[in-house]
Amino acid sequence: MSTEVVAAETAVNTVVDNSAGLKAIGAALAVSATGFASAWTEKEIGCAAIGAMTENENLFGKGLILTVIPETIVIFGLVVSLLIIS
Amino acid sequence: MLEPKRMSRAVIVGHKSILEATVDALYTANLFQMEDFVEDGSGLEIGTPTGNVSEVSKKIVQIRSIASMLGIKDKEAKKQNENDVLRDLDAKLNELDSELTRRADKKSKLEAELKDIDSTKKELVPFTNIDLDLGLYRGYDSLVVFVGHVKEDPGVVVSNRISSFDYFYDPKEGVVALFAAKADSGVVSEALSSVGFREIRVPDVSGMPATLISDLEKKEAEIVQQMAALDAEVESLNDKYADFILASDEVLSIQTEKSEAPLKIATSDSTFIIDGWVLSEDYDKLNSVVESATNGRAFVSEQEISHEAEDLVPVEYNNSKAASPFEAIMDLYSRPNYKELDPSSIIFITFPLFYGMILGDMGYAAILLTLAFVLKKVISIEAVKPLLNILIYCQISTLIFGVLYGEFLGFPLASFHSSPGLIPGFETIDLFASPFGGEVITYPVHRSHLVMTMIAVTFLIGFIHLATGFMFGFINVKKQHGVVEAIFEKGSWLVIQLGLVLAVLGALGTLPVEIGVGALVIGLIMLVKGEGINGVVELPALLSNSLSYTRVIAVGLSSIYIASTVNEMAFGMIWQPGTSIGFMTIIAIIVFLAGHTLNTVLSIIAPGLHSLRLQYVEFFGKFYKGGGRKYSPFGYTRKYTED
Repeated sequence: MSTEVVAAETAVNTVVDNSAGLKAIGAALAVSATGFASAWTEKEIGCAAIGAMTENENLFGKGLILTVIPETIVIFGLVVSLLIIS
Repeated sequence: MLEPKRMSRAVIVGHKSILEATVDALYTANLFQMEDFVEDGSGLEIGTPTGNVSEVSKKIVQIRSIASMLGIKDKEAKKQNENDVLRDLDAKLNELDSELTRRADKKSKLEAELKDIDSTKKELVPFTNIDLDLGLYRGYDSLVVFVGHVKEDPGVVVSNRISSFDYFYDPKEGVVALFAAKADSGVVSEALSSVGFREIRVPDVSGMPATLISDLEKKEAEIVQQMAALDAEVESLNDKYADFILASDEVLSIQTEKSEAPLKIATSDSTFIIDGWVLSEDYDKLNSVVESATNGRAFVSEQEISHEAEDLVPVEYNNSKAASPFEAIMDLYSRPNYKELDPSSIIFITFPLFYGMILGDMGYAAILLTLAFVLKKVISIEAVKPLLNILIYCQISTLIFGVLYGEFLGFPLASFHSSPGLIPGFETIDLFASPFGGEVITYPVHRSHLVMTMIAVTFLIGFIHLATGFMFGFINVKKQHGVVEAIFEKGSWLVIQLGLVLAVLGALGTLPVEIGVGALVIGLIMLVKGEGINGVVELPALLSNSLSYTRVIAVGLSSIYIASTVNEMAFGMIWQPGTSIGFMTIIAIIVFLAGHTLNTVLSIIAPGLHSLRLQYVEFFGKFYKGGGRKYSPFGYTRKYTED
């Protein structure tokens, strides 16, 4: 076997290995970035919801709903990361 | 079941002389919700309260202030006769009032004394280390006394200026007491100011400071003891009078409500008109109650509910006893209005279903089920009971899914591939190949190895749940605006959903693709006609809403991962079962308990909130408006008294 072929094979193996690593990084990014986005938006909405609730306690239900709406972002992130890994 | 109870609008008319009898009868019957009368220039006026309202209100204020002083809380008590309560009311109230006032006065006096002692003690503290009777600090003709804080021993600076003086210095507190001739007072004060002298007041007592302080401390202890005795006396008053106070508060509240009822009623010079709502099923009862109370002299008639008045109709749920706890979830969002469907019975199924699918662990189900039953025994607050019942429903569902998933506190029960399960000999059985992701469906279902299948399954469940929502919307719109609008506004979504299903089947090759695409196009046209451009804009929401249901598997997996990480840390990294038992065993058990306690708390919050959100956002968004008024009939359910 010539040295060139060996070198080429090593290079291919490295690329395959890297793709597994990149997948993991991609999955991690999908969860962490969307998690951050959810947290940020929920913070903003939660603050406003608590403000509204101090004025009128009956708004708890509505406040809760509005606060959890951005939760979907991180759920999508999690699903995407599961898709990437599996 | 899916609709609120039917209501009737009833109007009661009669002569003013029978107003009180009518109000009494309505109050006892507790089935008629009065509508406030608003003066509208028709000549009718708001009625005037009957009976001696101000006297009764005064007593209520007195009773409630006594109750708050004694710290009386609601509790189970034997019912008392109303007349007995009223007969004894004045005497007992005065007795109680004087007893309490006497004690309160005594207590505030003791508190003042305590404060005095405290401040005197504080004044005495600087003198504790100077061994001099406090009486010796004053009363001289030719001497002047300087008492105060200094920064350093003033002996040297003073002795530099004058020769005859005497002083006591306490280096610890930095206090000096200096005695000098009156003539030298100017010089001495100048000398003292150079060492930062600040004068302090000498307490107006005599005796050695240390003895004085210990005397004061003795006195203080005595007063504290007296106060404790007073508190115990108040406590015994609480025991003695609690029943009486609760009963009389109830009797008086009832009296006030009755006598203030005319403020909601329209009256003319000699007649009254009461307008309000009654459950249709109770209408005949209302009729007979009023008739028997007034010998047929008051006239009850049923009015048609006008279209404008429909928003005003109070709403009473009409659910089976099993589904009724979920009314609490409805109320948290908003009570359904009179014209729409009440989805409590659907939530009764879907909420525990999603919760169980998310958690699906026998261990947590057992823990939380026990917890819910214990709390149900301990807590007697009415508002919490439905929530505990919901928790119980959810845990039963969790238990069922736990058996399906074969999980116990994050441990798999059955062995899977080469990893062993908790039960020896229990092996995972391969059932059939899943159409998604090349996975194999097994029993027990190992969620973490069936991610793609579970995503597809939850997506489909969401699709069906949304279709149910559109069907509810169809019925609501049909009831309010007719069948044509319903077909275009909500039916269009159903057609689009159907089209999507057919198109997917077409893509898989079981059907010609054209059928699905055709249905989709028809649905789209209907949607544009029904909802205009808004409908088209909302079209992608169909996908994102269905995808949102994948949280069922996603949140479930996160719960498994937390649990199995805890298990791995405790019984893999810290201590392995089978090795020698020692200090690390205890650490492992602590980690295990703490980790699972945390996850148990999360197991109420995370699946609960996500399951709730799927109802509120995805499901309700398709049909629900809410905004109904609670039906609260005029009357009272007696707890502490009886007629």
